[in-house]
Amino acid sequence: MSGFMALLKRELRSITKEKTIMFAIIVQFFIASFSSIIMVGIMAFYDPSSIGENSNVHIRSGVIIDTESGVTKAEYNALISNLFNGGVMVEKFGSMEYACGLLERGRLDTVIGMTKGADGVVNMKLVMPELDTKKTVVYMVLDQPLKEFETWLRDRAGVEIRYADNSGAPHTTYEFLYSLIVPILMLFPALIAGSIVIDTVSEEFENKTFDTLTAAPVSIAQVTMSKVTAAVITAAVQLGLWVGLLRLNDIVVNNAVLVITLGVIIATIIAVSTAIMALYFKDRERTQFFYSIVLVALIGGSYFLDPSPFGLITRLAAGDPNIGVLQVSLYAIPLIAICLPFLRLSRRLVLSPR
Amino acid sequence: MKNILTLSKREITRLKARFSGKSRGIVLAVAALAIVCSYVIYHQDLAISKGIYTIGVTSNSPVIEDSRFITREMDTDAGYRQLDTGEIDLFLDGDLIFSSRSERSQYATAALMKYLEKQDLLRIASEYDIDRAFPLRIEIDYVETEADISVASAATDEMPEFPDTTVFDDNDETGPAALSETAALSSGSGDEAVQQQLEEFSVNRQLPEFKAEFLSENDIIIPSLMNPPIPLAQVIITFLYVVPVFFISLFFTSSFTEEKVSRKLVVLLSAPVTRLQVIIGKMLPYLVYSILVIIVVTLVLGGNVLLGLAIFVPVMLFIFSIYLLVALTYRTFKDQTFFSVMALSVVTVYLVGPAMFTGVNDLSYISPLTLAVEMYRGESFGASQYFLATTPLLLVFGQTMFVGTRVFNEEYLMGFRPLHTKIAEAIYLAMDRRHLNISILLTGMWMVPLVFMVELACVVFVTNLPLPFMMGFVLLASVVVEEVAKSLGVVILLQNRVLETWKSVLGLAALAALGFMLAEKLLLLIAMSVASESMFLQALSGGELFLLPLVLHAVSTAVVCLLTWRCGTRYYPLAIAVGSLIHAAYNLYIMGMLT
Repeated sequence: MSGFMALLKRELRSITKEKTIMFAIIVQFFIASFSSIIMVGIMAFYDPSSIGENSNVHIRSGVIIDTESGVTKAEYNALISNLFNGGVMVEKFGSMEYACGLLERGRLDTVIGMTKGADGVVNMKLVMPELDTKKTVVYMVLDQPLKEFETWLRDRAGVEIRYADNSGAPHTTYEFLYSLIVPILMLFPALIAGSIVIDTVSEEFENKTFDTLTAAPVSIAQVTMSKVTAAVITAAVQLGLWVGLLRLNDIVVNNAVLVITLGVIIATIIAVSTAIMALYFKDRERTQFFYSIVLVALIGGSYFLDPSPFGLITRLAAGDPNIGVLQVSLYAIPLIAICLPFLRLSRRLVLSPR
Repeated sequence: MKNILTLSKREITRLKARFSGKSRGIVLAVAALAIVCSYVIYHQDLAISKGIYTIGVTSNSPVIEDSRFITREMDTDAGYRQLDTGEIDLFLDGDLIFSSRSERSQYATAALMKYLEKQDLLRIASEYDIDRAFPLRIEIDYVETEADISVASAATDEMPEFPDTTVFDDNDETGPAALSETAALSSGSGDEAVQQQLEEFSVNRQLPEFKAEFLSENDIIIPSLMNPPIPLAQVIITFLYVVPVFFISLFFTSSFTEEKVSRKLVVLLSAPVTRLQVIIGKMLPYLVYSILVIIVVTLVLGGNVLLGLAIFVPVMLFIFSIYLLVALTYRTFKDQTFFSVMALSVVTVYLVGPAMFTGVNDLSYISPLTLAVEMYRGESFGASQYFLATTPLLLVFGQTMFVGTRVFNEEYLMGFRPLHTKIAEAIYLAMDRRHLNISILLTGMWMVPLVFMVELACVVFVTNLPLPFMMGFVLLASVVVEEVAKSLGVVILLQNRVLETWKSVLGLAALAALGFMLAEKLLLLIAMSVASESMFLQALSGGELFLLPLVLHAVSTAVVCLLTWRCGTRYYPLAIAVGSLIHAAYNLYIMGMLT
């Protein structure tokens, strides 16, 4: 045991010395930041109302009504009040050209022309500035009022509407956070643990130090297990750090102990598997490549598990009360299944020819 | 050429020897498994957020077919009780929704409402005739505005006064309006648009099609059917192309490093081949594999092969140049692994970030991926857009090849030194000591694409900060990065004791600033020609275009270089701080915050 501890210390020292952890954290930090940018992007498209409501954008619109086509006063008032409630300032004009002229000169942000077809359908012309970002903002603000106006028109035409009110809290961010960002952050340390094991194991082959170690009073299993343990400890530290960092950003990882336990179990499974691969292939190039495609296959395959590691982390972190120790402990089965043969086979793998 | 081919053949033999016998079989089997898995998932419609909410329903509730919700049938009493204890997030009693005060319950409510609303809309579409079900159609039209930032604030008094009647009042007296254009929208084309959008709407896909244009001119939109595109398609295209190329270049780096460590490269150098030939020879097989991958991916996605190559070959060369640099600089595998992962994430951000705004902001053309998105949407792009997207990548590649051949010697390859020393050494070796002026000018110019990418990365990092700090941090970071980039060449010369007098330091500092400035403006000019309507660029190019910034760049660089010359390279960080202060003060002045 003392031999193992000495080996473990040596491995941990080399990991901290090479600033591996620092790089690992920077990379994850980068991924997290980038994901939040994507999130803003998705929010902007998928949930424009959340931006329109929060940013307090005021849009000045010009409205032109073609009364001859049969647009009624009630329709006109419904449009105006919906726009008004959505934070759109409304001014009424007599001619489309005049209003568009003002739009061109920046006095208005949008021009809405309303006319009625013979079939009773309201046809609208929405004129917006060509300016790239501006048209997006304008539409974001107009989206909700126009939807409400449409619902009003439907209602008046005698269409039965069952669900149209917007209750509850905007859920896009919540779902995105817990089903993408948190699982990615909790599984990434496991991937890094795999890479660390490959590097440290193949380094021994590269420097031909395994030959020396076979003669030393420690078993090969101890040597490789110390590398695996060092990598797993690294992963556990990162997991703890992430939970803390997320907490600082007001993102609460519920069931944190279970989430970290699951992260560590998965990191161990991956670290042991990569140790086996590295011992088998005995050079970094092939092991790294093999590891990469195995990962693709594993990530793909895990999708068919229920609950998958990704889904399990999502539900645990989001605080689903119907999931817990039982589901997490199921993952201990593959862990044991891979550790036992590893401990028995490691010596034979090292001594096998290249 | 013959030498290169010989070297390439040697490389292929080496690679083949690696994957012979049993290992080839195992690798092929796992690769096949990976492909099958990805294929099946792709066709299953990837469901994210599976089972995130648990809801209670009664027997007469509508059926909920959405993988986000786990439904449990129960009677009313049990429903209220479980909602109270938090075992379920929502209780759907018939078609009435009951929620609790918890956050989860509120999110679940909104998510379920959106789902039910959609189902309701599909019901309405089938129960009522199309004109009643979709009584509002909106045609989009654009006008060019002169409303850039300077005009909007200054020109208000030239505007005609609003006629009194334009104020919203209840007495509708404006009379018939001239609405000939609007009336031109025939009911037939409106119905067609409804049908088409209804079809798209009813397909429940989480993976989006290649459709990213937000709203195009003359589109007819139906507010309730408006399904905004998710920029996920961009991310998927990037990974399909970039990840295989990364795998292949991983082999290149591995082989390069291994031969470096085992000194085989040094032996090669003594053969009658040039250094460039060695690098290209070793790279060529991997480049060919990558090109094959690009062709295959483009064919599978149904794109134009030639266009696909034109777009992704520069990206590929860029990735290889990063890996070449990593292989040249690092000796341990751990460092390599992390730099590779870092590089992968930076490249992904560089490609995906701007491309998310395809069709929304013209500046998205700085990413070649935007071109790919356009290609898959069957839209065209111009030559200037193509050059804006690919030139920086090609420049970085050229630069790397050049630096690579200059540092390709035993001492540099085998030396164990910290990263910053290695970089300084590489730049020193890249400069021609006989033509210092030109070297420094070109170094300044070549820094621009790198600075550009570092600044983009800063913007990504900044999103972690609270909003008020964001802007300040970006400004500060870009100032520091620019000052380092400009002064680096001169300072490295100082470190190697090449420069003696303050005059030569001053002259070279000015040249470095000029080079930097020229390249920066050139890039801006290309960007302007592509995205003339971008508010961001209009704001950037406002004011004095050339002379004032040049003076600033020259002054701040000169201050940094002279301080370093005077106090020694140990004080370089301090000198950078002083130069950055000057630069930042200028920026603030320009922004009109200092008067």
